[in-house]
Amino acid sequence: MVMAPLAAFVIAISSVRTRRGSVNTAMLGALVTLAATLLVGWGLAKRTTGFSASYVYLTANVGLSGPTVFQNFEIDIVLHADHLTVVALAVIELCVIGVLGWHRIAGRNEPGPARFQALISALLFGCVGALLSTDLAELFMFWALAGGATYLMLAHRWGDEAAARSGRIALALPFLTDLFLLCGIAVLYSRYGQQNLSLLVPALHTTAGWTVRQIVVASVLLFVGVAGRMALWPVHSWLTGTATTAPPAASAIAAAVWPVVGVTVMYRLLPIFVSSNADTMRWLVIACGISGVLAGLYSLVSMEPRKALILAGAGVTAVGTAITIHGFQYRGFTFAVAGLAWVYAAAPARAAGALAASNIVNAMRTEEMREMGDAWMRMRSSAAVLLGVAIALAVSAVGALAIGVDSRSRFGITLGEAVFVIALAAMRVFLVTSSGPLRRRRAFDPDRVRDAPRQSLGWPYWLVLGSLVLSAASLVPAWLTFLDNGKHATATAATYALWLAIAVVGLAAAALPVGRYKDGSLRASSWLALLPDRLESAGQNVLGRYVVNPAVRIVEGTERLVPAADTAVGRISHLSGRYTVAALHAGDVGVLVVMAVLLSLLVALLSPGVLR
Amino acid sequence: MTAAMLYAFAALTRPSPAPSTVPGANIFTSAFILSIGIWAPVLMAFVIGVLPNPRGRYDTLIKQIAFFTNLIVLFILFVAYNQFQNFLPTLQYEENRQWLPAIGAAYHLGVDGPGILMLMLSALVGIISVLASTGIRTRVRSYFALLLLAQSCVTGAIAAHDLFVLVLFWSAATVPLALLILGWGGPRRDAAAWRLVGYWGAGTVALVLAVAGIYVATGGTSFDMEVVLKAPLGARAEVIIGLALVIAAATRLPLFPLHGWVRDVYSDAPIGVVVVVASSASRLGAYVLLRVLVAGEPDGAKLLAPLIAGLAAITVVYAAIAALRSSDIRHAAANLALVPCGVTALGLAALTPLSIAGSVLSLFAGGMASALVVSVFATLSDRAQTRNAMVLTGLAARMPKLAWLTVLAGLGVLGVPLMASFTANEMTFFGAFRTQPVGAFAVAAGLALTAIAVAVLIQRVLFGPPNPDAPAVSDSSLSETWFLGLMAGALLWVGIVPGGPKIPGTDTPLFDPGVVNQMVANIPEIASPYSGTATP
Repeated sequence: MVMAPLAAFVIAISSVRTRRGSVNTAMLGALVTLAATLLVGWGLAKRTTGFSASYVYLTANVGLSGPTVFQNFEIDIVLHADHLTVVALAVIELCVIGVLGWHRIAGRNEPGPARFQALISALLFGCVGALLSTDLAELFMFWALAGGATYLMLAHRWGDEAAARSGRIALALPFLTDLFLLCGIAVLYSRYGQQNLSLLVPALHTTAGWTVRQIVVASVLLFVGVAGRMALWPVHSWLTGTATTAPPAASAIAAAVWPVVGVTVMYRLLPIFVSSNADTMRWLVIACGISGVLAGLYSLVSMEPRKALILAGAGVTAVGTAITIHGFQYRGFTFAVAGLAWVYAAAPARAAGALAASNIVNAMRTEEMREMGDAWMRMRSSAAVLLGVAIALAVSAVGALAIGVDSRSRFGITLGEAVFVIALAAMRVFLVTSSGPLRRRRAFDPDRVRDAPRQSLGWPYWLVLGSLVLSAASLVPAWLTFLDNGKHATATAATYALWLAIAVVGLAAAALPVGRYKDGSLRASSWLALLPDRLESAGQNVLGRYVVNPAVRIVEGTERLVPAADTAVGRISHLSGRYTVAALHAGDVGVLVVMAVLLSLLVALLSPGVLR
Repeated sequence: MTAAMLYAFAALTRPSPAPSTVPGANIFTSAFILSIGIWAPVLMAFVIGVLPNPRGRYDTLIKQIAFFTNLIVLFILFVAYNQFQNFLPTLQYEENRQWLPAIGAAYHLGVDGPGILMLMLSALVGIISVLASTGIRTRVRSYFALLLLAQSCVTGAIAAHDLFVLVLFWSAATVPLALLILGWGGPRRDAAAWRLVGYWGAGTVALVLAVAGIYVATGGTSFDMEVVLKAPLGARAEVIIGLALVIAAATRLPLFPLHGWVRDVYSDAPIGVVVVVASSASRLGAYVLLRVLVAGEPDGAKLLAPLIAGLAAITVVYAAIAALRSSDIRHAAANLALVPCGVTALGLAALTPLSIAGSVLSLFAGGMASALVVSVFATLSDRAQTRNAMVLTGLAARMPKLAWLTVLAGLGVLGVPLMASFTANEMTFFGAFRTQPVGAFAVAAGLALTAIAVAVLIQRVLFGPPNPDAPAVSDSSLSETWFLGLMAGALLWVGIVPGGPKIPGTDTPLFDPGVVNQMVANIPEIASPYSGTATP
């Protein structure tokens, strides 16, 4: 499972030169990985414990005194596969295969084909390693590798200035959150001397001198680190910022894969969060809930279909994470895994949505939803995919919400609002692009609009189908039992119906404004979008004015000052040398006279009553 | 000449009686391994210096002599590295001869774990610097003689276990390097050379004051590190001596604000000199800090730790912003080369066993990364005939080998996984968070800025649209690819197998016992005064 994508990467960068060869290599690597994953899954079918393998990567004896745990530093490659890991990997691999299949045809004009496919294999290698890791240092290693590959994929169009500029955000923001993750791991190590989760978790409250504060700090750092890569609002801009400049396949894979990896890693780290305190857990849940609602609202006002779908998906991820964390808040929890099942179900739909939206954007040659329309007649396949995506994103919530949330609680109401808004936003994308007239523009003839090449159209469909299957599975407690080997209670039919109704109402609610007053609703969206844009600009201005610009000015000033100071010191040295030489040549009397005059002046100036 | 060297070499060696489990070990041993490593280049520098070379007729022979001298030194030190017993806390390959009994100075050499790692770095750098200097055409004899002398001084400073000898080698290294810059540097070579002399001279003065302080405070009878660094001094004395050592280290490593020589030296020195300065010569600053302050002045080290951590954090953040704002690629690379210095200093400031170990590994990894990034951009600017980042765009398609090496250099500075600097950074951060969490976080933030700077620089220079107005470019030559590839390869090797490759199915090391395994010898002893900070 680990070596297959690595081998595909090595082959792709070393010997493959043609586009077709590179696609085939990447596809073969993904298929072999999927086959290995299914094989491991089959082997796990009758087991309750997972498979493990361990290799020593680094061991260093650094101390002879002090606590034993700090005397030896070891990083082990510990690979552990359980049911949850296998399902997460299968979802990721299916998304990658689907996107690769689409990219094989639709991405023919992308530059650097061999490089791109190699990066997909590298990303898959990193994701597999991260999901199989139980050693935190090892996890971070694979996480960072996958992050590097993601950045290179998103900034793939090197020759394009806009792509390069947006690629910098795709590097800086996730890298910063990755450093939060590293700091969280370092804080835990600094207290407990452990990186292996299976040894760390039992030691959290049993190691002498432990404090709640340290665990809280570590938990927050870890949460921010994982949330950044999951692109939860407000750290989503690395994904939305590159939605229009990155290759569609890269955006699709990033949007689909990282939430799955992130939420699974979050699930593994939750025992650490639980060990902090109830307040921390509560605030994390609240943060995820707010993130879900706001991501949905942002999606509602977004005027670019790809960004709108990314934000809707970010809302799904946030709410699913909220349910997962909420599930750990109480002893005897059983529904945390339902949140994971929801995120897994939504992942293929997110990939499909990114691909279908880019088909429409490319065909209609505009990124503004105001200028789109009539895709249902002219590009029915892609439009149908968008409809399927909206349904999948909305319906995938039902199982998790029914099992995990009380509809009458404030938490339930918040999450219900989030699901409603997300359904509304996702459906809005479909309705805006598919209905209404497609107007003629300068150098654009609507009659020439065609869907993507036929051979690429099937892949988004399969992804949507996969999403719907996983959504249906998430309704079945046996599926949840398979995921975490735990007992799960079934919700009542009425509960399922209630949450389904919320999702359906959300989907239907989009039809009213868009169906009857499309232009008006889009005008309202763009007007409402001004406020967050202005807030964002204001925030950037403040940051630039009070942090970035002063720092840059200080550095530039120092860069000028240091050589000037060196030159001045050099001149003074040179001058003093010349005076010394002159003094040597002068007679003793001359030197004595000069010294006497200078000393007199000094004494006179320092004497009281002279200057005062 | 070669036969004479081999005969002398064989005469000084004898087979070792003790068996070893490392394949390839026990080929030979000698009582003078370290002296061979120090004085063989000096001897060959003298030979090159007196060799007649009418109208450059023997330029190639001179280069070959320099190359094979370094190759033999590398071989000897590699064998020493392989035979190094990492479970012994004492010095190995020790040589101790009375020299100036009146003042207590002795010719005392020896290495422990950090020392053997630095020796390997110095030996590798020797070969690499010669390969990087194959393009020298004028006054070849003088150039390679001075280069060999510089390498000898660095090796001597690493191996010295007497403070007097250390100061001598430390200060002597400045002279040949300054002459090399003055004689063969770029347009601003005068400024570069004098800045180097000024800063390193000031650092030498600080080191002399520190050593003199230690000497006087311990009775004025010996300079031997085994004696003076074990003698207890008062906290005040340790702080004052420590301050002087920090100034000496900050001028050499360097650290903000004593980094003024970096930009000019790294951008105007010949590439072979840049490799020596950026890797082994500059790491002497941190090495002396480790050897003297951390190992010998624990009270002073603890009191000065926040200062060093602060300087480290400011250095990294400053370097990242300066690299981001720079339009001269060699200036940008010079600033990027400061980033590993900050990480090394953070590890020493944190004063935990793990952070000290991370700092030691960072001496090797950071040295290689700094040298690689500076020399790759120097080569790139030479090949592209300009240093202006606004003019240079889209070079990757026309310079594929240099493009790859540039990307690897950027990744090495950042410390991404599979690079040696990643392991060093992880160990440093994991150790530093216990005692210097703010400094560690600030350095981490600086690394995020560095990532942006690297991305902007690489994208602009390598991957933007080609500029039709830019001068014609050519890819790197064979020797350039080799010397850059050796540095990148060293980073990847230690990053992929830090514990050394093993024979499959066994724990027997395969020709490399592992950098991390060898470097930890004596680190527990060095860190023992600080192990109390490990107590939760």
